[in-house]
Amino acid sequence: MSAKLDPDDDSAIIIKDLVKQFENVTAVDEVNLEIKQGELFSLLGTNGAGKTTIINILCGILKPTKGTAIVGGYDLKKNLKEIKALIGVCPQEAAIFRFLNARENVELFGSLHSIPKKELKERTDTFLESLDLTQASKRKAKGYSGGMLRKLNLIIALINDPQIAFLDEPTVGMDPRARRATWKFIGSLKSRNKTIILTTHYIEEAEALSDRVGIIDYGKLIELGTPKELMEKHEAKNLEEVFLKITGRRILEGI
Amino acid sequence: MNLQGLEALVKMELKKLIRQPANLFLTLLFPAVLTLMFGVVFGDPELGMDMNLIVPGVIVYACIFIIMTVAQSFSTERQEGLLKRMNTTPMTSGEFMGSQIITNMTIAILQVIVVFALAVLIGFRPNGSVGAIFLAFPVIALFSLSSVGLGLITATVSKTPEAATGISFVFILPQMFFGTFMPITDTTRRIAMLITSYYVVDALTLIFRGDWTSTNILLDVGVISIVSVTIVIIGILLFEKYGNV
Repeated sequence: MSAKLDPDDDSAIIIKDLVKQFENVTAVDEVNLEIKQGELFSLLGTNGAGKTTIINILCGILKPTKGTAIVGGYDLKKNLKEIKALIGVCPQEAAIFRFLNARENVELFGSLHSIPKKELKERTDTFLESLDLTQASKRKAKGYSGGMLRKLNLIIALINDPQIAFLDEPTVGMDPRARRATWKFIGSLKSRNKTIILTTHYIEEAEALSDRVGIIDYGKLIELGTPKELMEKHEAKNLEEVFLKITGRRILEGI
Repeated sequence: MNLQGLEALVKMELKKLIRQPANLFLTLLFPAVLTLMFGVVFGDPELGMDMNLIVPGVIVYACIFIIMTVAQSFSTERQEGLLKRMNTTPMTSGEFMGSQIITNMTIAILQVIVVFALAVLIGFRPNGSVGAIFLAFPVIALFSLSSVGLGLITATVSKTPEAATGISFVFILPQMFFGTFMPITDTTRRIAMLITSYYVVDALTLIFRGDWTSTNILLDVGVISIVSVTIVIIGILLFEKYGNV
């Protein structure tokens, strides 16, 4: 079951001087950032900019080379178990057992979070219904389309009702209709005061959902603010133009 | 301990066995076919093989192939990001490894049941009492630890599931040739005595013959226990340090 955040501390995540190096490549370069409770924060950048590496560090998959982070009030280096009870992670590639059906996948991961069986069943039903997967829920996942796998990937990430959700490119490969349904689903989390960290290279997604946006380039956090603030500051019509003005490149060029 | 999570993982692993035809074939059908083939075609002692050697040998042979299924399973799940995903949940690595051990011990016991039942069907008549024959279960369950450990070591050094399949034969072949149903000469016995599967075959042979009170069986079980527990601990430590990335 997901634990609760301390209501007296309004920070969900504090990142301090975070560095991650892979041999000679600096994937994350001295990133400092604070994300508030209930905020939907988007990390915007091209592929390889360092977005996924930051998420992988924050959820304990990777160890930082330098620096640390406080997630939900817990130090990443000392309290990883407590952090794992607070978070839900939707990885970029759909990590799903293909020989299991949707329901079995969701219930397996729910069991790893110790969600009581009755509650897990009810929650699984609700989530499958919300993302239009009820009909397919008894078919093995190996027969699913890319979009269905992405939806299931998202449901698994959120089954423990996490206080902090890391959504790494959750809508890649979805058709526009499925993407809109997913945005609505993510929006419903936000309305329940969940903290969401979203990585995306879909500009319209970042604009539609985010309270604040951080632009990452070559591992550095180079710009931070609300979409409106960034557009005003850079005299741009949209975030794509903001990105172009700051980096000299279009965000989709890196994909 | 999260017993609900442990139970869910064991169920998932057993579904993997049942729903993936290659796994099912390798784990249960292949030993069944071998038992029938060896029992019917070569079951005559005049051909140099008899059922008293074949049955323990096929049981051990089947258990050795757990090395390959474990190595393939871990490297596939690592490649598909499933291990990473499970790492983001509160489940501990002890619970995860525990689920692997429980599953593979269950599979090893199922293999004993399948091979033994088929062997009896085609004429194998062990001398041991029914109660004594049940001793085969803990012996093979202990040995399955060694296969899980060697599977984890294989997965640690293999970058892909395909590589895991190939590399697993480094551990499978010596055990197969020196400790299953292959005839052993006095010379090859010296090599075989360095290999765990030799002691498992010896223990099972004694159990099926009804000699389970023999002091030799204590020696066999001692060797199997020490070596298997050591190998599985090494496998878990190596995989967690270098393989689970």
